[in-house]
Amino acid sequence: MTAVTTERGTVERGTVLEARGLTRRFGGLVAVNDVSFDVREGEIFGLIGPNGAGKTTLFNLMTGLTPPSSGTLAYRGQKVTGLAPHRIAALGISRTFQNIRLFRALSALENVKIAQHVRTRAGLWAGVFGTSRAEERRVEDQAWALLDLVGLADRAGESAGNFSYGDQRRLEIARALATEPRVLLLDEPAAGMNTAEKGQLTAFIREVRARFDLTVLVIEHHVPLVMDLCDRVAVLNFGQLIAVGDPAAVQRDPKVIEAYLGGE
Amino acid sequence: MGDFLGQYGFLIVTMVQAGLLGLSLYFPLQAGQLSLASPGFYAVGGYVAAILLTNPAFAGWRDALGNGMFPLTWLAAALICGVLGLIVGVPALRLRGIYLALATIAFIEILRVISLNLSITGGAIGIFGIPQAFGFQDRWQYIWLFGPLLILTLLFARQLERSRVGRAFRAIREDELAADAMGVPPTHYKVLAFVIGAVLAGLVGAMSAPFLNTWNAKQGTFDASIAILAFVLIGGSRNIWGPVVGGALLTAVPELLRFLADWRLVINGLVLVVASLYLPQGIVGALGGVRRPPPPRRPPSVPVVVEAPGGGS
Repeated sequence: MTAVTTERGTVERGTVLEARGLTRRFGGLVAVNDVSFDVREGEIFGLIGPNGAGKTTLFNLMTGLTPPSSGTLAYRGQKVTGLAPHRIAALGISRTFQNIRLFRALSALENVKIAQHVRTRAGLWAGVFGTSRAEERRVEDQAWALLDLVGLADRAGESAGNFSYGDQRRLEIARALATEPRVLLLDEPAAGMNTAEKGQLTAFIREVRARFDLTVLVIEHHVPLVMDLCDRVAVLNFGQLIAVGDPAAVQRDPKVIEAYLGGE
Repeated sequence: MGDFLGQYGFLIVTMVQAGLLGLSLYFPLQAGQLSLASPGFYAVGGYVAAILLTNPAFAGWRDALGNGMFPLTWLAAALICGVLGLIVGVPALRLRGIYLALATIAFIEILRVISLNLSITGGAIGIFGIPQAFGFQDRWQYIWLFGPLLILTLLFARQLERSRVGRAFRAIREDELAADAMGVPPTHYKVLAFVIGAVLAGLVGAMSAPFLNTWNAKQGTFDASIAILAFVLIGGSRNIWGPVVGGALLTAVPELLRFLADWRLVINGLVLVVASLYLPQGIVGALGGVRRPPPPRRPPSVPVVVEAPGGGS
């Protein structure tokens, strides 16, 4: 048990995610090499590292999109590596994508409605005979509320593909939240956002964590944002975890400085 | 009226039948799966009906049930095609895009060769003398079977589109991996969409066997696959009316152009080329582009949530 400070004050909370020896090889390349770390409930956990360090691959291992070559990830003590992505989503781990993967031809509203799949039940015949109206109503209300949260409700009917980069990233967050996750993985949420939007993002992620009682993992390149936002930071370099700790300490770590600036 | 039905009744029924076959391909396409298996299930449905209606082994059933035998053939065809769809769909839907299309063509060829060689399907001669459904005197009367089936299928498709399952289909069509990550199990819904198409094609086959009077291995070949695919592509693949309009039109045009004699196939080919060049969304898609659907309306009950700091721009 560890003390974690959130907007609600300091509380004793346990470990949510335990990565043990996660490894992923692509042919001769070891994209993620024997990575182990714990994520505590309620914290904002930053994942940084130079380009190609394996950050997104690590997210893919954690969400089942890429099976690990070896190693395990446990969520609240339950092993999730080896499960299909939709099963991991059902357990309560959701994500956004670095290269934005919205359902581009569908409306913003529909994008968010789709993601409520695991929290709803209506089957083929319930849909065809209209016996799932109450559930549909709930899905609809929830979708509007989430679009409100990210400030896109007045554009609910527009195709997701027409949105600006920043708006698409926000819509992806709304869609990820629609799965009612306990752990939210954000892959470069600030990429493509302008300075003003980046400034708002920190407060927004904190607000989302508090409102939905989430644990947040975030991959981000923008260092000031990471330092400001994250409770703890892990640094990946060439697939290996070289440092974990609070942002200020990690920033001073000589191994981290070497990874970013190069050795002598 | 009698004259008109005498002359065009057969054509009208064939148009509706074509629309239904187009729809059987439209369902898998909703989930992004290009399956050309419809003619195979159409053929199986037809054989099921033909065997039940002519084979001496079922003479007792026919005597006992009378006209009730026809609905039984529909039920049997739907059931058998549904199960067959499941058996074929689970392995085949591991393939994507053009590879799935090729696998479904292989499925059709396998069925054709099997039906040519089995004695229960009448071998190369096929099954003939299939009794007319409900003692129909004229071919146009089959509109009383295909018409209601078309209406029910359209209602089914419309309801499906608005439902949770319809959303899952569209999510998989748009981005299978993202759908999976957002909690939609792709394999489950791909197989479901495939089975819906199989059941519909089987039903159409079971109703078509009495309509055509004979059933043989020429039903449901690769040629039919391409024809049905053309129904959907020309009509439009993103709207339930697309396959219906495409099927009706492509069935009617060659018949209505009969007076052009040898030129009619040339004109028909020209229609296909022009349509695919200038109407990539299909005919219905092009018409729908003019009239956009209204934007979704917020239901009144939603409480106004205070805008989050990250919102707005």
